[in-house]
Amino acid sequence: MRDFLPDSGRVQHWMVGLRWVLHLAGQPIGRKDAGVSGGPLIVQSDKTLLLEIDHPDAQACRMAIAPFAELERSPEHVHTYRLTPLGLWNARAAGHDAEGVVDSLIKFSRYPVPHALLVDVAETMDRYGRLQLANDPVHGLVLRALDRVVLVEVAKSKKLAGMLGARIDEDTIAVHPSERGRLKQALLKLGWPAEDLAGYVDGEAHPIDLAEAGKEGRKPWTLRSYQREAVEAFWAGGSGVVVLPCGAGKTLVGAAAMAEAKATTLILVTNTVAGRQWKRELIARTSLTEEEIGEYSGERKEIRPVTIATYQVLTSRRGGAFTHLDLFGARDWGLVIYDEVHLLPAPIFRFTADLQARRRLGLTATLVREDGREGDVFSLIGPKRYDAPWKDIESQGWIAPAECTEVRVTLTDAERMAYATAEAEERYRMAATARTKLPVVKALVDRHPDDQVLVIGGYIDQLHQLGEYLDAPIIQGSTTNKERERLFDEFRSGSLRTLVISKVGNFSIDLPEAAVAIQVSGTFGSRQEEAQRLGRVLRPKADGRQAHFYTVVSRDTIDTEYAAHRQRFLAEQGYAYTIVDADDVLGPKLPTVD
Amino acid sequence: MTTSLADHLRSLPDESLAALLQLRPDLVVPVPADISALATRAQSRVSVARALDGLDQFTLQILDAARLTRDPADGTTATEAVLAMATSGPRPPAPTTVRSAVDRLRALFLLYGPEHALSVVESVDEVSPYPAGLGRPAAELDARAAALCADPAKLRRTLLAAPPSARAILDRLAAGPPVGSVPPGALQAPPLGEEDQLPPDPVNGGVPTGSPVRWLVEHRLLVPISAGTVELPREVGLLLRRDSGPLGPLRTSPPPTAAAPREPKAVDSAGAGQTMEVVRHTEGLLEQLAAEPAPVLRSGGIGVRDLRRLARVAGLDEPTTALLVEVAYAAGLLGELELPGVSTNRYGADQQVLPAAGYEVWRAASLAQRWEQLARAWLTMTRQVGLVGQRDDRDRPITALSAEAERAGAPVSRRAVLGVLADLEPATAPTPDEVLALLDWRSPRRSRGREAAHREVLAEAAQLGVTGLGALTSYGRLLLADVIHADDGTNDPLGLHVEADSDEPSTAARALDALLPAPVDHFLMQADLTLVVPGPPEPALAAELDAVAELESAGGASVHRVTTASVRRALDAGYRADDLHALFRRRSRTPVPQSLTYLVDDVARRHGGLRAGSAGAYLRSDDEALLSEVCADRRLESLALRRLAPTVLVSPYQVGRLLGALRDAGYAPVPEDATGAAVLSRPKTRRAAARVSVSTRTLDPLAAPRVPMPRLLGVVEQIRRGDAAARAARRAPAAVRGGGRGATGPAPVQGHSDALAVLQQAVRDKALVWVGYVDAHGATASRLVKPVSIGAGYLRAEDERTEMLHTFALHRITAAVRAD
Repeated sequence: MRDFLPDSGRVQHWMVGLRWVLHLAGQPIGRKDAGVSGGPLIVQSDKTLLLEIDHPDAQACRMAIAPFAELERSPEHVHTYRLTPLGLWNARAAGHDAEGVVDSLIKFSRYPVPHALLVDVAETMDRYGRLQLANDPVHGLVLRALDRVVLVEVAKSKKLAGMLGARIDEDTIAVHPSERGRLKQALLKLGWPAEDLAGYVDGEAHPIDLAEAGKEGRKPWTLRSYQREAVEAFWAGGSGVVVLPCGAGKTLVGAAAMAEAKATTLILVTNTVAGRQWKRELIARTSLTEEEIGEYSGERKEIRPVTIATYQVLTSRRGGAFTHLDLFGARDWGLVIYDEVHLLPAPIFRFTADLQARRRLGLTATLVREDGREGDVFSLIGPKRYDAPWKDIESQGWIAPAECTEVRVTLTDAERMAYATAEAEERYRMAATARTKLPVVKALVDRHPDDQVLVIGGYIDQLHQLGEYLDAPIIQGSTTNKERERLFDEFRSGSLRTLVISKVGNFSIDLPEAAVAIQVSGTFGSRQEEAQRLGRVLRPKADGRQAHFYTVVSRDTIDTEYAAHRQRFLAEQGYAYTIVDADDVLGPKLPTVD
Repeated sequence: MTTSLADHLRSLPDESLAALLQLRPDLVVPVPADISALATRAQSRVSVARALDGLDQFTLQILDAARLTRDPADGTTATEAVLAMATSGPRPPAPTTVRSAVDRLRALFLLYGPEHALSVVESVDEVSPYPAGLGRPAAELDARAAALCADPAKLRRTLLAAPPSARAILDRLAAGPPVGSVPPGALQAPPLGEEDQLPPDPVNGGVPTGSPVRWLVEHRLLVPISAGTVELPREVGLLLRRDSGPLGPLRTSPPPTAAAPREPKAVDSAGAGQTMEVVRHTEGLLEQLAAEPAPVLRSGGIGVRDLRRLARVAGLDEPTTALLVEVAYAAGLLGELELPGVSTNRYGADQQVLPAAGYEVWRAASLAQRWEQLARAWLTMTRQVGLVGQRDDRDRPITALSAEAERAGAPVSRRAVLGVLADLEPATAPTPDEVLALLDWRSPRRSRGREAAHREVLAEAAQLGVTGLGALTSYGRLLLADVIHADDGTNDPLGLHVEADSDEPSTAARALDALLPAPVDHFLMQADLTLVVPGPPEPALAAELDAVAELESAGGASVHRVTTASVRRALDAGYRADDLHALFRRRSRTPVPQSLTYLVDDVARRHGGLRAGSAGAYLRSDDEALLSEVCADRRLESLALRRLAPTVLVSPYQVGRLLGALRDAGYAPVPEDATGAAVLSRPKTRRAAARVSVSTRTLDPLAAPRVPMPRLLGVVEQIRRGDAAARAARRAPAAVRGGGRGATGPAPVQGHSDALAVLQQAVRDKALVWVGYVDAHGATASRLVKPVSIGAGYLRAEDERTEMLHTFALHRITAAVRAD
């Protein structure tokens, strides 16, 4: 076994990792041409991996590294992946071992991989699971060490003060059951993520089955193979996150997990609209009836065997206290499903720390969080249990799904002067809402006479101008849910061709698909929000028509600077984009705007 | 016996002598005068110790056998006797191996003489006092112990009677070394009346009460040789070793390594990857030191804080940073610069560490050559970098580049450790413990006690890419051979060739070069404005990238990003937009993205849109024709006017000169201030200042001044004080008043020193004193004062009447009398 002697210091530490790598070197990996091979991958010393897309082995390489490396950027020629401790631990939790990871790196690497990096990878992966949370028949919840020295090290840490109980034997320390979640968080911070094998309560039983035979006259259907695999991987792991791209049927994975658990389920979703979508799906695809599913939102407070609650209502406070915390104890939930884990608000993490004895399923398209709390997802909801194979993502049209165009308009002299003298905080609004943009938008709408067009803006005044100018209805924050759904329905059916929406569109999960989107103002939000919305709006259409995304920006203003950020983001996401001049869109003659 | 070795040497043929000198080269430095000098030197402690240091464990054991089998009478032994002893234990070695070991020893002249009468060079006993870890014969130690040892049956019985804790001590001493220290008092008998009770039987055989040792000493199994030290007689030791043989376990061959050879290419690949890192990080550290040199501490070396800073910037840990800095220093890439003048930096040091001139040369070399220079420096540097960060004997931290980390034996350690790896099958990766075990067998005398240093060598070799995956790399092997070869100096005693072939890459560098990625001259451009150079860039490409893009990620490849700022920087550096477009088109393997073209054009369009400069004065006018006239006026050429705009001229000269010249030329300029308002100037009229200030005048100069009451009270007090003083003055003692012309009768002249004494006393007492002195006009005066201090030839005293401090020159004081 590994002799991690406490006094042996740096050299010894080195050697532990080294032994892993040495072990590897005996395997028939990288033998093909370990010197300067022509692999598609370049391993950088800052732990980024550069993958050359045009290389014949790029596909194979992508499949090999996807389980442990996070895709950071995917521009047209070279994709950037990053090795992070969390990514490596996720891979470890999903059953990949250090040998496999190092194997892939060496096998596909074009240049010699720095030895220190390999050792570091092996060492990092080796840290997962040295400590285990387990259920002891006598002592209850215990922290058990496969490596005694690690236990000694973490037990001394101040960060664990109050979480650990009595020492049972040399390798075991009792843990207060209430601290299960916080202990896992703290151990992750210490760099010794624990494997949670302590099991789960069954919860209140409730019969749930998948209605694959078809329900009430619907067509029979079956789970797709990767959905089945995802559920199996989740169930075997107990708790964790399933990563599937948009449109890959995450709801069905949730439904299948419920059918597996056959217990009362709490589903946490981003907003009411998403909740209703979940409800529709569950009624259609499972044995559940409308009466069995409750909605717990700002509007309704129903608690039923399957309850769908929004993040917003759970995190709402009155007088500084969370008012809806009782929901977590309202029933003996057997399963908690977190939709869109990457958006999970911080307070929910705190509640989740107390739910560690219940099975938790996280669903998401990306593990990247804006706030950098990926570690909390890992320790509190669970490690990544399933990642869709790349092929499936590709068939979803993840790559180059739409054509993005930036249209630059030149402000009139009067507008320029107004912009030049405006206060700093007013400048963006001045530039973004320039009236010069209106005819350009109109021309763009006219360019696509047969397509559904969404016009997106950030300023209400401008939206009203646009609505008038284009003669199109507006959806904004004050639009009621009912009105919103009516307009969406009309838009979907095709009777409404152009729709002007404010930033609320970012959050509507059932934003109808459109072939053309025109953005006139409003900064983009966080990266993942942007990724999601672009993915939703810009998916290639069923009939193979190209989708278009236009951004209208004012030249030589701060608007252009924001646009540059967006360009970079789009390029990193693999969207092709071009810049055109408004005059090219409008044709020779400028229509007058009053 | 010296003579006999000399005689023996004298009888040898020249070839044999030469062979000896080749095996022990230290004997010829300096060249001995004659054979007896050679013999004396060959038997000297230093030379013998050096010869023993090079021996492996088995040969040393055979030497021990020879020493043990010496005939007490004439001190000689025979090969047969050695053979008999060496093979007397279990698992005896083959006689041939023993004989060859004896031959080795004879070749070294540690043993000499004919086979049947071998002599051991005498200082061997001084250098290693206990042969095979056995003590001296009992006869040399103690008569009663000798008596016990002379009776084998009794000796055996005594041994068997030893309590377990005592037996444990015996076993430990029997394994060697045969002397042990005992705690003070352990050998004393217990106080009278107390039973000498053995402890119940401590399993660990420790010495809790001192009793087991005392038992052994009392039974003559141990002999006290000095206070607190006991020795195990040789006979007892041999008896205890009957299971393992008299020499202890014999290790005829080096310990085996369990590791199977790795794939050589994998080893080289891992090592080569590491070499790229080493060179890159070294360059980063040196650049950082160039930007901000590290001050040299008074105690030498660079401070912990500077090392930490370097580590942070380079993204390394501190031990690695220390290693790279030390290696760079040893490779001549870093040097100290004396700071001229007074020290100004925060440590008060007057030296700084910064890249040396050699750095430029190094930077221009190929990657492999750069690495080779570093690795070569590492192999030969007399520094033990592992000590950096630890504390010295005086508990002061040892800093990088300081004298405390200097270890003359460091190159030997490196050579020994790498030598072990080099002698294994290529690409064999033994564990560190195996390497240490091998070293321990190869040269036990040199290796023991240096295990930590040897482990450090292994770690450093891995970090520098000399080894990969724990095995010596192919290029590392070549480099090591090269260094050892150069070190031997067999072909090149003066080191001439090192200089001669330094331009040519060495074999090691060439081998490494083949493993490293070839330099590339192109990049891949992407729409997110990144440029990926898929390999190490050519120098020309690197320079271009430096100019037009920011580095984002380095390693085997490098990722650069073109930003607004980087394009602006390129334009500032003299590139034009067209140059940049051409550069991107030329270097890119992929189509130049439209966004980049736009970026360059956008930045170029605005670049230089504003122009800044400096001028001494400007000249403006709404009348463009007038400015044209001024511009064309030849009389104003000296003003160097330049037309910035139709209505503005500037001149490098100050406004005064401009105005003067213009007026002289007949123009009528008006100066303006910073806000553009005309500055009016009129000739000044001269006026004298009035003598009395107006404010002090009163309406009626004859009216009596009115003074407020409090002030009047003050006046009264002042008057009274003056009055008292005047009265007192009238009573001034004659001694003080005297001496003057108006004095009547013989003035009691007081000695100057007496006056001084009075004054000093008065200073202490704070008493009033009449001081008589000669004033500036030669007149005698007296004053009633309170002396404050005396010093520097002056008396300072306070005049109570005027509340003023007076200063009297001491030499002018004629007398001083206490007023009371």
